[in-house]
Amino acid sequence: MRFSSSISSLLTSSLLLSTASASSGYHEQLNLRPLPLSNLLASFNFRSNTSLADFESQNFRLFPRSLGQILQYAGTRELHLRFTLGRWDAENWGARPWDGTREGGTGVELWAWLDAETDEEADAKWLTLTNALSGLFCASLNFIDETRTIRPVVSFQAEGDHPNTTLANAKLLHGVLPHEVVCTENLTPFLKLLPCKGKAGIGSLLDGHKLFDASFQSMAIDVRPVCPPGGECLLEVEQTIDMVLDISRSKRPRDNLIPRPIQGHELVCDTSKSYHSDSVCFPVDHLQSQEWTLEQVFGKSIKGACPLTEPGVPPVCVDVPHSRSIFASEGSTEIKSQHSDSRCYKLASEGDFNLVLTQLDASSGDKELVEPEQPLLYADRSFTGYGQEHGGVQAILTNPGDEEVEFVYMESLPWFMRVYLHTLSTRISAASSIPTTSAETSAEIIKEIYYRPALDRERGTQLELLLRIPPKSTVFLTYDFEKSILRYTEYPPDANRGFDVAAAVITTLSPRKMNIRTTSLLLYLPTPDFSMPYNVIIFTSTAIALSFGGLYNILVRQIVGADEGFESPVKSKLKRVLATITRRLAG
Amino acid sequence: MASPPSGPTQEDTASSAAASESPAPGAPTIKPPPPETPTAIRRRSYIVLSFWLLVVFLGLPFWWKTTTIYRADLPLDRMLEWADGKACRPAIPIQIAVHADSLQEEEANHLVRLAQHAIDDLNDFSGHHLRLQLAARQDSPRESEHNHKSALSIHLKPGDTTTAALDPYRAALDITYPLNSVPPLHSASSMLTTYIATELRSTFAEEQSIVSYLLSASPSSPTSKPAGLSSAVVETLERRATRALRYAPTYHLTFSLFTDGPAPTTWDIDAAINEYMKPLLDVLGPIHNFTIDTQVQLYATPGVQSQTLTKDDLASFINAAEWPLSPSIGGAPTINFLTFIGNQTIGFPDSEGQTSQSWMIPQWGTVYLLSQPDTNTHVAKDALRQPMLTFGGHLLTLLGTPQSGSLPLRLSSLSRIRSADLLLRASDTLGSLARLSRSLPSIAIPRNVADGVAKSIQHLEEACASLGGSEALYHARIAEEEAERAFFEKSMVGQLYFPDEHKIAVYLPLLGPVTVPLVMGAIKEIKRLLQARKQRAQEAKEKKSQ
Repeated sequence: MRFSSSISSLLTSSLLLSTASASSGYHEQLNLRPLPLSNLLASFNFRSNTSLADFESQNFRLFPRSLGQILQYAGTRELHLRFTLGRWDAENWGARPWDGTREGGTGVELWAWLDAETDEEADAKWLTLTNALSGLFCASLNFIDETRTIRPVVSFQAEGDHPNTTLANAKLLHGVLPHEVVCTENLTPFLKLLPCKGKAGIGSLLDGHKLFDASFQSMAIDVRPVCPPGGECLLEVEQTIDMVLDISRSKRPRDNLIPRPIQGHELVCDTSKSYHSDSVCFPVDHLQSQEWTLEQVFGKSIKGACPLTEPGVPPVCVDVPHSRSIFASEGSTEIKSQHSDSRCYKLASEGDFNLVLTQLDASSGDKELVEPEQPLLYADRSFTGYGQEHGGVQAILTNPGDEEVEFVYMESLPWFMRVYLHTLSTRISAASSIPTTSAETSAEIIKEIYYRPALDRERGTQLELLLRIPPKSTVFLTYDFEKSILRYTEYPPDANRGFDVAAAVITTLSPRKMNIRTTSLLLYLPTPDFSMPYNVIIFTSTAIALSFGGLYNILVRQIVGADEGFESPVKSKLKRVLATITRRLAG
Repeated sequence: MASPPSGPTQEDTASSAAASESPAPGAPTIKPPPPETPTAIRRRSYIVLSFWLLVVFLGLPFWWKTTTIYRADLPLDRMLEWADGKACRPAIPIQIAVHADSLQEEEANHLVRLAQHAIDDLNDFSGHHLRLQLAARQDSPRESEHNHKSALSIHLKPGDTTTAALDPYRAALDITYPLNSVPPLHSASSMLTTYIATELRSTFAEEQSIVSYLLSASPSSPTSKPAGLSSAVVETLERRATRALRYAPTYHLTFSLFTDGPAPTTWDIDAAINEYMKPLLDVLGPIHNFTIDTQVQLYATPGVQSQTLTKDDLASFINAAEWPLSPSIGGAPTINFLTFIGNQTIGFPDSEGQTSQSWMIPQWGTVYLLSQPDTNTHVAKDALRQPMLTFGGHLLTLLGTPQSGSLPLRLSSLSRIRSADLLLRASDTLGSLARLSRSLPSIAIPRNVADGVAKSIQHLEEACASLGGSEALYHARIAEEEAERAFFEKSMVGQLYFPDEHKIAVYLPLLGPVTVPLVMGAIKEIKRLLQARKQRAQEAKEKKSQ
């Protein structure tokens, strides 16, 4: 096991803290971590809990009442809800915060363990749950119907401390809405759930303008029972927000948001270029080291500590090398960690709190930020193929480490994407540095397959693969699918935009547990001309009328020789008129 | 090929002969077509006929079947009868048991009879009448049964003066009388009977005025003006009606502690509810069920910041945008009881010096301003006593309980008022449904709507028969539920807008080209038949004249 990096150690330390002081009821912490290319990862974590007895008698104190009622009404044992926007750039930013367990695929993702004897009961409760949450979070969660719901087998494990009997009677359902655009209307109810609202503590930093301007942001709500050893069981709601801010973008003044070209004398040039001169400048993409303050980046400062938090836990932590100096507002105390590059701040109960990270002197040679940890796995997924009928999916999974990685790859695909499972194949290519026989067949890579085929208009495809990737190698996972043609009313209003396909969820089992999600895909389906129904009506009507008229006339009319019959009265009249005219002209 | 479909008739040949009289020079001469055989003519008639038969007996029914919307049969007349109040005249009989153990049986009977007369003379409203009944003696085994049925029992006891007192814990009226005031057996009236009658009337006055108001306010009543009610009384009744929530079998009570700042964060709500609220809820148990939840909310800024709240401020005090007071899920209406920690006061210009702590928001709940020192992080049970008692009082008002009388009496009259109210509501809903289905001929009416209507009418009948009894509320509740469900049927509400222009646009391209040959063929065929008949008649005539 490799626990070298600070982020994971910090995570474990905060987890330890939380279990130690779970009884106090509320915990909040903000973790700031500068990332390469002048980005900043801000991880907000709020945890509040209630005893199960209080929860059952509906006495809500720190646990939000609106959410609690929904959970009781829908018989929910454990709930996970994710709102995600943007893409985590693993190449530059390294491993994900919280090991990826607190983020979802693009859009909205929801999974929950529901108390139900039968699948029908679980479906009914799931419907209640999605509809109620949809109202609470102003999201279209009610569109998670049975076609978007799957029942994962191996990908998700319950996080809470459940008694064995309740988990045996609980059903896990998972639904995802990749098309949902997460925005401010989802943040407002999220903040309302916090005991201190957005009025005090680190929650006062959260602001829709900055959050949804981030390169990547993820909001998570996790509800699970926690039973501390020897103590009373608690129900814990954990709210997490991770956002990656572009510092130079965030520092733009609020009243002047339109990007304008920088004045010539303000340009920072790359002096290493051979053509650099007074008149030629190659601008540097990101400033090597920037000075920034909390207020600049978030648009406001922290308005005092939330009085409900346990006094032992410092609410703000920054992960930068100790060599970089940080100035904090008066009244706060700094605690430097001995064994990692991290320092934390305790806030004064009154007054604003602000942090200033100074610019690092380039000549000193000190590190500006903590090197990001290398992730266990890189995952990319894309469409292959062309045309309106067939397509393919290719997932590229790279193991950069020295250890074999075992993981579950899960896809929840819409029913109109008909997967040909027999085309599922893997190809392995090792990094050039290590000689390889490359004789590994797909049977050795894919160990197990859980597959639940789609039924048209009833349910989507569920595909779970248990895979193993040897160290320093890349696996190409491909399969083909057919695009089905939808009914006229099944197309959304923006049919030509395409259909979103939910992110694949990767859960690693060894060497340690973590989650990765690929980006979501945009699937083009053959789209009809939507004025089509009237055209069809008129076209078929004309065809029927023509054939009917012909048939009827042939049946009914008397057929005579060409020189027989009566001249039609119109024709004879015309002939007479013609004759008179010719006579007049001649006469 | 320009041959007309009909066979060569005399007229046709004549016209063609006329036409061929002046042929254009050089035009080819056209021979008359060979005469058609009768079988060919008959076959053509069959063809035309069979096409028409197909259209009429197969096409039209098919079209009819596939395009009509299902409309279940509703007993429209019966529904409108209910809505107009013709099906049931709501009359609430109230049984009153008279316990007069100290009197002789005969004397007591006479007393009851006289008192009944006196009551009937006083009463001018037929919807609500009191029925006196002499209760069995205490030693009789039937006593308990009687007590159970009657809404009120009168206990007559000899005393020094004539007094009346309502028992605060039971539905009972204790009347003492001097021995000489008992009417002798042959007297027509007495002071005591008049006294009993006025006493009873004043006890039930509020209920009676509420019922008469209900009957007059509902559109189904024959009279629009409430009988014998002054406008001031109507106004108070109207206020009562607007304050009260709609009837529901279950209400959800939400007790919230809101505070402007970070404290207090805990309160002894569980103990306070158990001590101050539970007894009241238990008493209300037979009429309503209650579910309870509580919450604490910090940093809740009220909608109004001023120190002294005026009447206008009270309306906007609740910060609906930020305060998490969403109704509970599960269908039961939510009643909010909100304790706000703050030192604001309520002041009205006309009531100088006097301030109160709480106000009721009609059909929503109550706000109580509780002032506490800032440093206090815990609200003790004792501090919650006054808010809880206020909430209890307001809960009764929000449920629509009458104001006067002892609590058991108020509750029993609440259940009678509610059953009359539900009965009228259900009838009204049925009437609306009937009118809706008449005015929108293209609306679909699924079968379960008809079932709901049938069930509703059945329960309405039972409720109407048992008004005043304990069954009435149950039946009226079901009737109202079914009527509402039928009225708000989902598949009915989502009526598709399908204008006539669209129908023409869909049908015309098909029907136009198909019907023209069919109609023309039919016309020609009919013409030919008429011609043939005329010809036959002529031939017959000629034959006759020969």
